[in-house]
Amino acid sequence: MTLLGVQGLSYRYPDGHMALRDLRFTLAEGERVALIGPNGAGKSTLLLHLNGLLPDRPPEVPVVTVDGLGIIETNLGEVRRRVGLLFQDPDDQLFCPTVWEDVAFGPQQLGVVEPRLSELVVESLAKVGLRGFEQRLPHHLSRGEKRRVCLAGLLACEARLLALDEPTSDLDPRGRRELMLLLTRLPVAQLIATHDLEFVVEICPRTIVLDGGQIVADGPTLQLLDNEPLMLAHGLERPHILRHRHPH
Amino acid sequence: MHIPDGFLDLRTAATAAALAVAGLAYALRDVKRSLPPRRVPLIGLAAAFVFAAQMLNFPVAAGTSGHLIGAALASVLLGPGAAVVAMTAVLVLQALMFADGGITALGANVLNMAVVAPAVAFGVFAALRRLLGRSLRATLLAAGFAAWCSIVAAAVACAAQLAASGIVDWGTVLPAMAGVHMVIGLGEAVITMLILAVVLRARPELLDEVGRVPGTAGVTAAYGLMASVALVAFVAPLASSRPDGLEYVAERFGFAGFATVAAEPPLADYSVAALASQSPWLSTAVAGGIGTLIAFGVAWLVARALTTAGQSAAPHR
Amino acid sequence: MAALRDRLLSPYQHGSSPVHRLPAALKFAAALACIVLIVLLPRGAWLAHGMIATGLATIALVAGSNLRQLAIRLLLLEPFVISVALLALLRPGGWPLFLSIMAKSTLCLAAMVLLTATTRFSDLLGVLWRARVPALLVTTLALMYRYLFVLVEEMERMRRARRSRTFTAGRGTVWRGSAQVAGQLFVRTSERAERVYLAMCARGWKS
Repeated sequence: MTLLGVQGLSYRYPDGHMALRDLRFTLAEGERVALIGPNGAGKSTLLLHLNGLLPDRPPEVPVVTVDGLGIIETNLGEVRRRVGLLFQDPDDQLFCPTVWEDVAFGPQQLGVVEPRLSELVVESLAKVGLRGFEQRLPHHLSRGEKRRVCLAGLLACEARLLALDEPTSDLDPRGRRELMLLLTRLPVAQLIATHDLEFVVEICPRTIVLDGGQIVADGPTLQLLDNEPLMLAHGLERPHILRHRHPH
Repeated sequence: MHIPDGFLDLRTAATAAALAVAGLAYALRDVKRSLPPRRVPLIGLAAAFVFAAQMLNFPVAAGTSGHLIGAALASVLLGPGAAVVAMTAVLVLQALMFADGGITALGANVLNMAVVAPAVAFGVFAALRRLLGRSLRATLLAAGFAAWCSIVAAAVACAAQLAASGIVDWGTVLPAMAGVHMVIGLGEAVITMLILAVVLRARPELLDEVGRVPGTAGVTAAYGLMASVALVAFVAPLASSRPDGLEYVAERFGFAGFATVAAEPPLADYSVAALASQSPWLSTAVAGGIGTLIAFGVAWLVARALTTAGQSAAPHR
Repeated sequence: MAALRDRLLSPYQHGSSPVHRLPAALKFAAALACIVLIVLLPRGAWLAHGMIATGLATIALVAGSNLRQLAIRLLLLEPFVISVALLALLRPGGWPLFLSIMAKSTLCLAAMVLLTATTRFSDLLGVLWRARVPALLVTTLALMYRYLFVLVEEMERMRRARRSRTFTAGRGTVWRGSAQVAGQLFVRTSERAERVYLAMCARGWKS
C-alpha cells in the first residue's frame, strides 16, 4: 500500500537557485528507504516538503500525497501528524523545558488530555528505550538520548512515516548502534537522509540517490552502493562494508 | 541596578509593579499585533541570548569589568515590544533563580530595565535614525547613544524608587546613581555598537529592518509615554519635597503640572549664577547636559572608527 | 569556572522529601507570602527576624537539602545585596538602617534559595501558566530557560576558539573579541530560532 507519493516535485530557492527538479517516487507502508547524495543535493529540502513546511504556500494541486492525503493548505495539521520529521540538530527540535513536556507537545496540540496524555508519554519513551526519563532536563542528555526523545515525540503523535535528517551524524559508536537497533524495531515507514553509508547497507533495503536536485538512481541498496562508478560520480563512495565482502 | 528585597517600601514596590504590568501588557499586545508568527520563538531565544551575553567580560581597569545589559541592543534588533518581553523574561529568571533582584522589587526592576530602558532606547534610536539617515554609521551612532540614554534613564528611575522608599536621600542618590551610570552607560554604548556592527556586517539585510517603526507613530508615542510616566511617577513626589530648586526647574521646563507646586515667589529675576549657587539642581542639570554631549561625542567617534576601518579593509582583499 | 556556572544556573536539588512533593503553586505562594512578611516587618523586630530564619532553616532540614550548597549559594548572591545596601550608609545615622536592610534582604534571599532548591523551574512555569499569565510570556520564559544552557555552551566554545587565536593581551582586543562572540552568537541564535519555529510547526503548533 502506497504511503507516500511524490509526483513531479520541484522547488526553487528564493534566490532563484533550483533545489529540486521534478522528483517522482513512492514509498510503501513499513518500508525503510535511504536518501543519499552529496552535500547540497537537496536532501534536507526534500524532507521539508514531506510535511508541508516547504513550500511557503502549498500548491492548489497537491504534488506530495501522504497516507491518501494530498498536501494542501487545509490539511497541513493532519499531514504533520502523520509525517514525523526528525531534524538534524536535536537541540532545535527539543524545545521544551523537560523531556515529558517535549514528548507531550505534539499530542497536546492534537487535543489529547490527561490521563491518556501521560500514558502516551510514558509509552513513547519506553518505545525508544528511555523509560524513566520523563523529568530529565534536555541539556543533561547525551546527543543520542536527545535524538531518541525527539523520536519519542514523533511516535507519540502516531506518525505513519518518519523522515530523518542525518540521524547518526554526531553520535558516538554506541549511540549509533542503539539508534540503528531502534529504527529496525520500529514498524513505521522511514525515509532516512544520511551520509552514513555503512548504516544504509545495514538497515535500508532500498536507496534513492539524489544529486543536483534530481533522482539519479532508485533501487535495491546493495545493487546501488556496490556500483563504484555510480557512487563516485555523485560525490559518494563504495562503503567499506561492501568493499571487503567476499564475492558470492 | 537590580534592587533586592527589603529596600523598597510596599507602596513604591506596588506602584512600580503596577506600572510595569501596564507596560508589559502593552508590549505583549503590540507584539501579538505586529510580530509575524515565525518571529515568536526568537523572543525567547533572544532572551537567552541577552542572558548569555550579560556574562561576557569587558575589562575596565584593575580587575573590574563591565557587562552588557542589553536592553538597547534588544530594542534595536527586535523592536521595542519584543525587547520588553525578552528583558522581562531575563529579569524574572534572574529574580527567581539568582535572587538578582528581589521578588517584591521585581516590579521596579522590570519597570526600570525591561520597560523604561528599551522604551527610551527605541525612542532615541528611531528619532536619531530619522535625523541621521540609514547608513551603517548613522545606525551605529544612533544605537550607541540610545544605549547610553537607556542606562541613564533606568538609573534615574531606580534612584527615584530608592529615594521614594526613604532608604536614601534624593539629593544624594540622584547625582550618585545618575553620575555613575552616565559613565557605565558609555560602556554600554560602546559594547552595543561593537556587537551591532558584527551583526549588521554578517547580516546586511537587517540594516533596513532595524529601527523600522512598528505600526504607527502612535506606537512609538506610547512607548515614549510609558517611559515618561515611569520616571515622573517617582520623581514628581520627590520634587515636591524640594520646593526651591527643583520647582523652579519644573516650572521652567514645563512639567510643573506633575509636581505639586508650593506657593513661591517667581524666580525669573535671578541670574543664572545666583541660581547655580542657590540650587544644586541647576548645576546637576548642567552636569547632566554635559554628560549627554560627551556620550554623544563618544558614540560618534566609535561609530566613525567602526565604519572607517571596514571601508579601508576592503581594498586589501 | 564551568562547574561554578553550572551550579549557579541549576539551583534545583533533586529529592523526594515532603517539601519537594508539595505542589509548586503552594510553595511559590508561601515563598511570596514569606517575603512580603519580611519586607513588612518593622525595623528592629529582631525576634520576628529570628523566628523566620529558624522557620526557613527547619524547612531546609525537612527537605533534606544540602545545607552547604544552600549556604554557598546564599554567599554567592550576597554581594549584590551588600553593594546596594551600602547606599544606605550614605545617610547620616545610617547604620541601624543598613543592618536592618541586610537582615531583611538576606532572609528574603534565603527564602528564594530554598524555593528554587526544592522546586523545578518548569513547575514554576506551570504555576504561571495556570495563573493565566499571557501565553507569549510563558512561552518566552520556557524557551529562554531551555536554550540558556545551549547558548552559554556555544558561547564558551566560541570564546575558547577566539582565545586560541589571540596573541596580544590588550584590553581593546578583549573588547573586540567579546563583541565578536556576542555578535556571532546573536546571528546563530536568530538562525536557530527559525529552525525552532519550523520544529514547532512540524509538531502542530499554531501560533
